[in-house]
Amino acid sequence: MDQDITAAREKFLNQDFDEKSFSVPAEKTIEYARLCGETAERFLDASHPDFQAPPTYIASLSGSRALPEGFPRFGIGMDAGKGIECFLPVRPGTTITGRTHLHDIYSKTGRSGRMVFAVSRIAFYDAEGNLLANSDSRVVMREKS
Amino acid sequence: MLLDLHTHSIKSDDGRAKVENYCQWIRSKNLPIDGFVLTEHRQFDAESDYSALAEKFDLCILKASEVETEYGHVLVYGVTPALQAEFDFGSISLPLAKVIAACNAHGAIAVPCHPGRPRVGMFAHTDALGVPAGVEIVEIYNGGSRDQEDQIAIEHASQLGYRGIGGSDSHIVSHVGRCATRFDAEIKSIDDLVLALKTGQFEAVNLKTGD
Amino acid sequence: MAISTIQEVVFGEDLPTFEPDTSLATTRQFAALVGWGGARFSDHEAARKEGLAGAMVPGILNQGYLVAMIHHWAPNAEIKAIDTVFRAPVIADEKHTISGVVTDVNEADGQVEIDLTVANEKGETRVFGTATVQLPIA
Repeated sequence: MDQDITAAREKFLNQDFDEKSFSVPAEKTIEYARLCGETAERFLDASHPDFQAPPTYIASLSGSRALPEGFPRFGIGMDAGKGIECFLPVRPGTTITGRTHLHDIYSKTGRSGRMVFAVSRIAFYDAEGNLLANSDSRVVMREKS
Repeated sequence: MLLDLHTHSIKSDDGRAKVENYCQWIRSKNLPIDGFVLTEHRQFDAESDYSALAEKFDLCILKASEVETEYGHVLVYGVTPALQAEFDFGSISLPLAKVIAACNAHGAIAVPCHPGRPRVGMFAHTDALGVPAGVEIVEIYNGGSRDQEDQIAIEHASQLGYRGIGGSDSHIVSHVGRCATRFDAEIKSIDDLVLALKTGQFEAVNLKTGD
Repeated sequence: MAISTIQEVVFGEDLPTFEPDTSLATTRQFAALVGWGGARFSDHEAARKEGLAGAMVPGILNQGYLVAMIHHWAPNAEIKAIDTVFRAPVIADEKHTISGVVTDVNEADGQVEIDLTVANEKGETRVFGTATVQLPIA
């Protein structure tokens, strides 16, 4: 592993660097579900007894910052992938809290030179502190070759 | 005998396939391949033992590696502890000449993969860096190729007298077996595979198009 | 027929293919909904000036299409995890196909794994991924 990547891992991994609250408006989650092509009523009908945000809704929520303060600028960041783990439904009409940390940092070569990947994880909690979901964003930073 | 020479499992950072599910998939879909080679990115997976799965599904499961050089990505078949000591498999900027020399010294073989691909393919670099010495085989059918990438690989390989292999470059279960390599000989071990590659008794097969 | 329990799932079965609405209008509407400004999701010409082939469908909208497909197949399916790799841009106003196939069935715990792909008309995979889905046990 490249030395700069090793250094960044040692300095930044697994430390919360952001906390932010998010309201979850029902009209927004319904529209989100509709645009995605959802047909299951529990995502589209606010009167449904199991009404909830679509599972990928949390992927649209961003913290106040994507990377920790002082994180090296390897290049311009692009969205390289998203991962979500769902533990409990996110209920529209509630407020949830997202805490962000860097879950992984690694590099590889791509079609345009060295690419540095940073996996930023937002862990979402409800008002009672229950972990609802993890949302991982892989950001790829392409270095100029 | 038909082998998919380029696959990734969950051992690779971008791999999402479990090896057992590859086996189930091949058998449930009656794919015409007889096995596959796991070529994990920037590493050799020495610890995993797939012999029980190979026996259960009557498939040949071999292990190799995909390393990264200034000429792009290169498959290495015949990895041994001695070869691993020669260079850092985790590096993303290995000199291809060093990889080839080490492979030659340790009975392995290096095969540039998806060579028609921009940046990570060998032919993207030959104008600037020259044609590298020691390459004899390249991957001419890659299951993940887009646009004209395979065609570029085929044309350049033909001009340079390289022989061609095929591999799916699968990262998810359902992509295994999209491309493969047909061997005259029966392959039971990585030594058999290296020998067959060195003696040239094989042809690349594109199972997506039937070529 | 919609799947309702794990016992109905067959290893290797294809989920019903789904042609998502990748129109620029939808892409623009979605980007606005989630607060993602920028021409790359809303204007082909401006996106081309950024070096793209055209305006892109946001990655998370692709992920949303994939999950919607799973719910078309099994309306009661609970998504436990979904992981997508964005290999190449999905260009708005171009026809794409969303497909899924069952690659693991665990009847004991009711979980299924599904391979997911978004492919363009040339059959090139633009996005791939996997999902782990929980289904009721009969």
